[in-house]
Amino acid sequence: MDVKFNNRDPVYVQVIRHFKEQIAKGIFEPGQEIPSRRELANQLKINPNTVQRAYKEMEEQGLIFTEGNLPSRISKDELVLKSVREELIIEAVETFVYSVRSINVPLQEALNLVKDKYEGEKQ
Amino acid sequence: MNRYLKLVNFEFNRFFKVYLALIGITILSQLIGVFYEAGNYVSKANHSIYNQLMSKSDFITQYQPMSLVRIIIGTPWFIGPIVFSVAVLLIYVFFIWYRDWLGKNTFSYRLLMLPTARINIYLAKATTILLFVFGLVALQLLLFISECWILQWMVPNEFRIDNSITEIINSEYLFRVLFPRSFLEFLLTYAIGITAVFMIFTAILFERSYRIKGIIFGIIYVFLSIVIFFVPILLQVFIFKNYFYPVELFFMEVVTGLIVLTGAIWIGNYLIKNKVMA
Amino acid sequence: MIEVKEVSKGFGRKKVLNGVSFTAEKGKITSLIGINGVGKTTIMKAIMNLIPINRGEIFIDGEKLSEKSYEKITFIPDAITLLPQMRIGEAFIFMADFYDSWNEERANELLQFFKLKKSDRISELSKGNTAKVNLLLGLALDVDYILMDEPFSGIDIFSREQIANVFTSHLIEDRGVIITTHEINDIEHLIDKVVLLDNGVVLKEFETEEVRENEGKSVIDVMREVYRA
Repeated sequence: MDVKFNNRDPVYVQVIRHFKEQIAKGIFEPGQEIPSRRELANQLKINPNTVQRAYKEMEEQGLIFTEGNLPSRISKDELVLKSVREELIIEAVETFVYSVRSINVPLQEALNLVKDKYEGEKQ
Repeated sequence: MNRYLKLVNFEFNRFFKVYLALIGITILSQLIGVFYEAGNYVSKANHSIYNQLMSKSDFITQYQPMSLVRIIIGTPWFIGPIVFSVAVLLIYVFFIWYRDWLGKNTFSYRLLMLPTARINIYLAKATTILLFVFGLVALQLLLFISECWILQWMVPNEFRIDNSITEIINSEYLFRVLFPRSFLEFLLTYAIGITAVFMIFTAILFERSYRIKGIIFGIIYVFLSIVIFFVPILLQVFIFKNYFYPVELFFMEVVTGLIVLTGAIWIGNYLIKNKVMA
Repeated sequence: MIEVKEVSKGFGRKKVLNGVSFTAEKGKITSLIGINGVGKTTIMKAIMNLIPINRGEIFIDGEKLSEKSYEKITFIPDAITLLPQMRIGEAFIFMADFYDSWNEERANELLQFFKLKKSDRISELSKGNTAKVNLLLGLALDVDYILMDEPFSGIDIFSREQIANVFTSHLIEDRGVIITTHEINDIEHLIDKVVLLDNGVVLKEFETEEVRENEGKSVIDVMREVYRA
């Protein structure tokens, strides 16, 4: 696991985002065990307290769950997982729309370009 | 107590190689001295008696009989290594502190961060110095005895005077100081010695606490300590003009000596606990 | 918690610390940042009673430092504290002899982690390895608080990485750490809290995640603001 963190966003927020991306991509499967707080801190070279905070937040959002003393797992709740994916898509689209709009590109032109680019890159 | 003993052990080991060298030099020099001087004497005697046909008694009157005292007084083989050892130990009284502060690594940090009362460091260093001194003194006594045997073995009876240990000690001022004749004198000599070591230690701690200003404090401290020590004698000589009996004077000296000693440890404790800079 | 309260210290006429106050909590990594010569090392030495202070007070878990505190708090200066002629094994024996809190098992674990040998003589180690042994001697003590003075300065990049790894491991977890540095890059994501110093005073004390969250600023951003003002 290699994540490049920026220095301006809270690191815990960046950790959560990283988890959401992994879930959306399907790399983290429903019910999959996740690394312990210390393991993750060590892998990402960040403060264990930060990981703790990220896990707490994700637990509250229902992204992960913990039963007793067992290691935490990715949620099995389809609804939650689906909403993660949607959230990321909407966020990406919003960023895109924002930047396209700021240089006054008409919608149709933008969409065509998106289509070409998207399919072109796929090949 | 436990950590104090460990510190003594540690300090002892740190100087042990140099100490062994001192012991080696002392033994070697004195033994070589005895063998060389006695050998010379005997061959001179042989030469005079067998080649120049001198009578034994003439030889003895002319050249004097051989004895250990003669070697001690007349040659540097004995006094040399002892003066050298005393000098090295005197330097080490200072070096035992400064090596921790001025050495390549910051060992002074480690010493001061040991989970034990810091006065133990001070006492352990003093104990180490005293052990070294007593060790050398004991060694010298054993050497005297063995050197007497060697002389007896090398030089025939009629050419030799056998010295008693008392005679040997009396032959040299330095020995009279190092080997006092009575137990009381022994106590006094070494009590003064110990007090002097503590006084120097405390003066060093003044320097290590206040650096350049500390040198001045240290000098003032030592001066005051010496004045306090000699107060009874100063009173006797300058103010009361032989008013006290010697016994009274003696006990007053013991008291001022104790004041100086406890003062040194008390101030030393204060400095190493609160003021010293690593 | 380590509490530094209004501490002042001068050397001759030069004031090195001028009423410095801050706290460092257990379980957190607190970084003292400032250019060289602003008194970072002096603060650490003052906490450890390695130099006397002129004014102010320092508490460790509410108590003033005493000889027993050295089983509870340790200081790793920027140079190794044991004798150059010692082998690492001998240094271990020395530490075990004097500290009840010495944890031999952890010391051996660290030895393996840093790929060092007990038979190595301290004076013959490279700069990076000397720094590692120095760190090891502090980390192998079961203490609640560790003060580290510039653990990253003057050593090679691989040693730096190895040392940085220590911070995210169980070796540090749950302990209170104060670390001084003039180079934040290596540890920006590792630290919980920053104390910015200049000219013997604390300019700002903040939690790194808080300023990222509330102000969207990196530690460097805050430093720029504070030092330019």
